[in-house]
Amino acid sequence: MSFVASSLQRVRPSTGEDPAPTPEIEITGRRELTSDERELAGTIFAEFRADPRYHRFVLGCLNCGECTSGCPAARFYDFSPREMVQVAQNGDATTLWDAMQEKIWACCQCYSCTMRCRFGNDIGGIINVMRELSVVHGLESTRRALAPFRRTFTLLGTIGTQLAPDMIQPEFFRDWGPAATATEADWGVPLEILRKAIPVDVLQTTRAAWEVSVQTSLELFRIYEEAGVLDMLRAVDPDLVEMLVDLVEERREEFEAARERYRNELERMRGPVATFPG
Amino acid sequence: MLDSGEFRALFPNRPRPPGGPGRTVADLREEMERLESEGEIIIHRIRPENRPVRVTNLVGRTKQIPTDRLWHHKSCGQCGNIPGYPSSLLWLMNATHRTYLNEPHQTSCTAWNYHGTATSNPVALAAVAARNFHRAYETDHFPLIHCGTSFGDYKEMRKLLIEDGEVRKKVRDILHRIGRELVLPEEIVHYSEWLHVMAPEIVARQTHDMRGIVAAVHEPCHYYKMVPEDAVYDERVYAGQRPAVPTGILLALGATVADYSTWYDCCGFGFRHILAEREFSRSFANERKIRPMVEEAHADVAITSDTGCVTTLDKSQWIGKTHGFSYTLPVLADVQFAALALGADPYRIVQLHWHAVSAEDLMTKMRIDWKTAKAEFREYLQRLKNGGSPELLYPAREPIERFFAINKGQVPPEPDPGPSPSSKAVPTDAKGGSP
Repeated sequence: MSFVASSLQRVRPSTGEDPAPTPEIEITGRRELTSDERELAGTIFAEFRADPRYHRFVLGCLNCGECTSGCPAARFYDFSPREMVQVAQNGDATTLWDAMQEKIWACCQCYSCTMRCRFGNDIGGIINVMRELSVVHGLESTRRALAPFRRTFTLLGTIGTQLAPDMIQPEFFRDWGPAATATEADWGVPLEILRKAIPVDVLQTTRAAWEVSVQTSLELFRIYEEAGVLDMLRAVDPDLVEMLVDLVEERREEFEAARERYRNELERMRGPVATFPG
Repeated sequence: MLDSGEFRALFPNRPRPPGGPGRTVADLREEMERLESEGEIIIHRIRPENRPVRVTNLVGRTKQIPTDRLWHHKSCGQCGNIPGYPSSLLWLMNATHRTYLNEPHQTSCTAWNYHGTATSNPVALAAVAARNFHRAYETDHFPLIHCGTSFGDYKEMRKLLIEDGEVRKKVRDILHRIGRELVLPEEIVHYSEWLHVMAPEIVARQTHDMRGIVAAVHEPCHYYKMVPEDAVYDERVYAGQRPAVPTGILLALGATVADYSTWYDCCGFGFRHILAEREFSRSFANERKIRPMVEEAHADVAITSDTGCVTTLDKSQWIGKTHGFSYTLPVLADVQFAALALGADPYRIVQLHWHAVSAEDLMTKMRIDWKTAKAEFREYLQRLKNGGSPELLYPAREPIERFFAINKGQVPPEPDPGPSPSSKAVPTDAKGGSP
């Protein structure tokens, strides 16, 4: 079995017609791993097989291919959920390592394969286990794959939503066209006013999908700290984590100042504010 | 072809996982009762004041859909990019006299980020789910999940928390550190299920005839492919062989729902692809969804019931011109379609100006006076720009809520001592009658 290191660049049309000429793409196949890589591959393989989800998600495979026949990614990439199950079930450390370089990032996470599998394999789930391990061990290919998500991580860590209305910037979403979203050019008012015209109070903001109370934001960050998510992120983007920690510290100070400001009201209330952050 | 009974019978016969920690349980609800009796969890039960309606899931189990006293679990993508999605839902709840809480004390489910980047793990995902479940519980409002991915994720996380005692302990410890308890809702409910069971009340208020409208439905993957047994099926919709939502509400409103060959395909969102690799998302959306919807179904509109699907199908069409796709198929959420059918303002409430593909021709076909509505909306924007106060669907939050997740007089219910027929809600069925 050979793998294509640059599979994510090999987007091809799915019409069944002859594809348009594409630039020559180097297919590197399997290369020899360095001794450090071999050692890391062995560690990852052991952790993969020891993950509690492994025995729940990988139940067997007849190579029937029904998963791949319904897979959106298989139409456009050198990727197949059937192959992923085979790698998970029968592969060795190097085979798993190869699949984790880029192939795992082709998956659309639609779970079409999982629903169709006659063995009941959770193929989308097992790909997530591979992805998590690639993050935990800070693989270089994973760092590249995740680079565009820095704003998402920042929003999640500091506010608690994954998106913000001001993320749809024309230069980044040029392919969505001139009418991609409501703009000042069309409506004569800036984004702030367009958001104010949404009849839902918590949506009248541009910096988050909805306004999240500071306490709620801090609760999410605490969960991320306690559950090891920050450690995972640190492996792929340590600078980002340092920035997040600083920004959240400011949120904590804001929260403490508010606790002082609203002391009288809070003393009259019962509930979670009395115990947080504990 | 299998009939729906034969189709459903396939699922209980699927193989069970052979090992691993925890145990796989056949009926989550029974196991939840056991865990509660042992003090492991608190069940957030559906109560009579939630006015539940009874429907059937994939494997034939009864699922209760609460219709009142609901806690809105918002969607990042809907609130961020498609704000007419939640505002149409809240408007429909006002129109049908349902009560709800829509507050700033909810976190994202974080599952878009997880399915795109894997920078999370089961304990974190489950703790986030349980944090929001507890918040809904302490306000005594039942959670209603807006996003299909949140719905799929929360179904998975509830199952994990029931089956895996080790994860349950870790999550409970984390929750205690933020002053919360491990609460699991009796049902995980998607808003489209609310819309489905509310169809009789919604149709009773319909002002626009939708019989001339042809809709093509995109079924959101995370609604029915993750924990498939918990999706709602109805013998009256596709003879029970496909999910009942969102098709059921369209049929109830009189629209024609036209089939197309690639109905099972995803939309192309891909979670990481929509942000980092859109050449895939747009190619897939145009070739596998928009083209068949137009060429095969001859649709006037694409209807779906999830965040990423609306975004991908709507935003991907413009660039298709470079490859000869000249389609301009409006893409709406089911709630937006229903709100229009009930006479909601297409801009102030349905917020169609955020969509990339214009819905003006569609509205003309619906006999909606969008030109007047658009002109009035422009005037409204100018009033806001000049310092006017915005109109709201419910009273605005209090200033203290910018910081604290306060309870505004709600008292969480005492934990239920155990199953007792007299303490249970008496649901009606989806046709509106008692079972």
